[in-house]
Amino acid sequence: MAKKFIGKRIRRIEDPRLLTGQALFVDDVEIPGMLHAAFVRSDYAHAHLKSIDVSAARERPGVVAIFTAEDMGDDWEPGPPLVSPPPTVKDVLFNSRTQVPLVKDKVRHAGEAIAVVIAESRYIAEDAVEDIYVDLEPLEAVVDLKKALKPESVLVHDDLDSNLAAHLVQEKGDYAAAREQADLIVKRRIVIDRGAAAAMENRGIVAHWEPKSQHLTVWDTTQAPIPIRNGLAARLGLSEYQVRVVAPFVGGGFGPKMMMFYAEEMVIPWLSLKLARPIKWIEDRRENFYVTTQEREQIHEAEMALTNDGRILGISDIFLHDSGAYDPYGLTIPLNTQCHAMGSYDVPNFYSDVKVVFTNKMITTPIRGAGRPQGIYLVERLLDLAAKELGINPVEIRRRNYIPPDAFPYDHEIIDQAFAPLIFDSGNYKPALEKAADMIGYDQFVKEEGPCLRAEGRHVGIGIVSFVETTGVGPYEGARVTVEASGKVNVATGVGTQGQGHFTSFAQVVAEQLGVEVSDVHLVTGDTAEFHWGTGTFASRGAVVAGNAIHASAMAVRGKVLKLASEVLEAPEDELEIENGMVRVADIPRLSISLGELAVLANPLRGAVEPGTEPGLEATAYFGPRYGGTAFGTHAMILEVDVETMMVEIKKYVVVEDCGTMLNPLILEGQIHGGVAMGIGNAYYEKLFYDENGQLLNASLADYLIPTATEVPRVDVGHEETKSPLNPLGAKGVGEAGTIPVPALFAQALENALPEYDLEILETPLSPNRLFELLYDK
Amino acid sequence: MKVEGEYQFDGPREDVWELVRDPEVLATALPGTQSLDQVGDNEYEGAMNVRIGPVGGEFSGKVLISDEQPPESLTMTVEGKGKPGFINGSGDVNLIDQGDGTTLMKYEGELQIGGRLASVGQRLLDTTSKSMIRQGLDALNNALSARMAAKSTGEEVEYTAPSESQFAASVAKDMAGEMLTPSRIIWIGVAAIVTIAILAAIIMSIGGG
Repeated sequence: MAKKFIGKRIRRIEDPRLLTGQALFVDDVEIPGMLHAAFVRSDYAHAHLKSIDVSAARERPGVVAIFTAEDMGDDWEPGPPLVSPPPTVKDVLFNSRTQVPLVKDKVRHAGEAIAVVIAESRYIAEDAVEDIYVDLEPLEAVVDLKKALKPESVLVHDDLDSNLAAHLVQEKGDYAAAREQADLIVKRRIVIDRGAAAAMENRGIVAHWEPKSQHLTVWDTTQAPIPIRNGLAARLGLSEYQVRVVAPFVGGGFGPKMMMFYAEEMVIPWLSLKLARPIKWIEDRRENFYVTTQEREQIHEAEMALTNDGRILGISDIFLHDSGAYDPYGLTIPLNTQCHAMGSYDVPNFYSDVKVVFTNKMITTPIRGAGRPQGIYLVERLLDLAAKELGINPVEIRRRNYIPPDAFPYDHEIIDQAFAPLIFDSGNYKPALEKAADMIGYDQFVKEEGPCLRAEGRHVGIGIVSFVETTGVGPYEGARVTVEASGKVNVATGVGTQGQGHFTSFAQVVAEQLGVEVSDVHLVTGDTAEFHWGTGTFASRGAVVAGNAIHASAMAVRGKVLKLASEVLEAPEDELEIENGMVRVADIPRLSISLGELAVLANPLRGAVEPGTEPGLEATAYFGPRYGGTAFGTHAMILEVDVETMMVEIKKYVVVEDCGTMLNPLILEGQIHGGVAMGIGNAYYEKLFYDENGQLLNASLADYLIPTATEVPRVDVGHEETKSPLNPLGAKGVGEAGTIPVPALFAQALENALPEYDLEILETPLSPNRLFELLYDK
Repeated sequence: MKVEGEYQFDGPREDVWELVRDPEVLATALPGTQSLDQVGDNEYEGAMNVRIGPVGGEFSGKVLISDEQPPESLTMTVEGKGKPGFINGSGDVNLIDQGDGTTLMKYEGELQIGGRLASVGQRLLDTTSKSMIRQGLDALNNALSARMAAKSTGEEVEYTAPSESQFAASVAKDMAGEMLTPSRIIWIGVAAIVTIAILAAIIMSIGGG
């Protein structure tokens, strides 16, 4: 049956509210009597805390309270680990050290919170912060990953023998043997540095403890309201029903808002209980640079073994991953890197050894891509270098190595971030590559346009890379779908929303089953009072996991609607159809009843509901995939380098994406556009500079450059649709896809644009400055 | 951050040494210095206003002189802390007698900077610190000239240290100089004149209507 709603380019129904300022964000929450918090933070990256003098701050009019770690007494404890280490890999080493609410004895990264001031206004709180004198005895900072593991290194955590946070080896086949048989070994060091998520909305939290009702409400910019509720209840000794966590509209998540519990998330609700007052804390941009989690820093010693005709025999990757000062997020990022270091290719032998390192820098947790861009960068770079040496064209070498379409499901024989076997469920990589090559005009550029432009003295290059993205991991999500007496449909689900278009795409899934208009579906997300089972919005899983839970609930409600309508209309269920909010007998259109009328009949005020049935047209259902579906695609671009300023202009950018069933291609393309913009930042603009003392040197948007409209080109998106067999909708995730291959693509295109410089790019992020150094400081 | 450089004083080494070891002169040479008091044999405490780009505020700190070998060399250790962050560092200062009545000062050291000063001011730090050092040394050299003139004439010659605002203006000028090449400055000048001419023409035509 042709779909009426799923797959349609429907405009986002939430946008009018967002664009006219009618949507609730955390900072919009105003409660009478609300107090404001500001944090005293460490200027040093590594230091002993000797004493804190808050006496002057206490004197300041308007200051209500000041708390240090000491003042928290027995309630002071480090945060719970968010993800545990993988149990299924043997000999895995993992030293769990989690972040603290307020520094007690030792500062482990610049910006770490030492004390909190609660005052009548944020102005007063900020002034009082400056009144507080903190005596810190600076220690040598651990910054460089390689130095951190040397025996003489200073320790981030004094109770450990070294700065090694974790060690994990994953293996497939026999790489050493493959190396023996290889015609070509490409071996390089690849360095990937840190960036910020730089969401438009910084973090924020409002906690409101009402002593009379013994109830705590927390508005939080989190991507995971339900785990936050459960964790807060446990921490504060409350029942889960005494805590409501609301993640309202959030101005961009990108991963760092999945991190929990941030120091502020532990402290502010605790203080609201302590002081019996509502308290607000909104992160400022500088705090966002210092204390919102970051990502991507890794150093790889990687090699690829190939035959003369460009077939990959194996990949070996020994790498260091920077965890920052603590490791609450377990091994998610390095596991993702391992799982993507084979890319889209049929790699028979694989060896990957990761050491996770503690440093005196902010904690790293997933940011859009979450370890995947590093893996893809590695495999695509090595493949490019091999292609160059073997004289094979970049398109052709990829084509030769793809996992063939009949090899799915393809078992990689290692484990993924969810500790499940890494199995690629489905895929057909070649059509995406060929479509992208066609859309960018690859052959024509290589044969005609490129040489022509080069003859004119211009530095224009082309690039094409492939990627995979493991998406839609478990454990599960759920949803409740209700047809109301008005005939409108209410949907509640646990995942939060940070701009993904959930209100529209989820409504399309419901409308498909219940025959209502998309605008008649009302969605509630991220409010534990409405739905309190689930985990959160991460790992490109909203559409897949929550989407399928909503689909299952809507199917169940459809069953109830048809059953009741069949009784009322005295017609068999299979002769009924639902359209425009009406249930009709297919051949006799005047024999019909509206969904609203059925909802009233299903919830009578008198009479009896038969035993074994439930009132209302409502159903709750859950969905948990066995493992995640793997999306894939190809990106291609043409860029021009100005060799005087080293600025680049992207002249054409093409994406061919295959994420299985498309719920809404318009929203999907928006996700891709945003992802590519972020990837461009990762590739050429956004790098966090830490000095050797662990000081962050560009903690402002004046110095940390995010790409703007002038750097981000129009992105042409083509689609392929290889449905996932793992879920009824056949969907895969797409939230991170746009970001993942961009740095690898940039590197290839830059090398292509600057042939006379014999350039080899083995690092990201780049910048005009860095490119200049690479070209001239050899 | 590494700080190094050299500066030529127009006077003999002993006089330069005397000058450098005189806290009162040092305090006037670095405008923004609110106070500089001797608290030990070779230890000083003081307060200073520092502004680097958008970040500014008062720093209080200590200066310690060690490894003193008059009139040749000394080591200076600085610890400063204020609302905008902290500055710690140490450096060696060498005075070389040039044999022609002038003295060459060579200095090199390491500075550690943290807090808002590092995170927001970093871009401007290098230029600003170079400019501050150069102007401080210029001021010292002027003081030196004044003293030497006083010595030769026997009269007190008034030496006026630059004010904080003169100092800030000079830092700003140095920074602009570093960011804009001379040819760009000329073009900006030309563009400004053309713009003014156009504006004048428009205003006159409005007046004429």
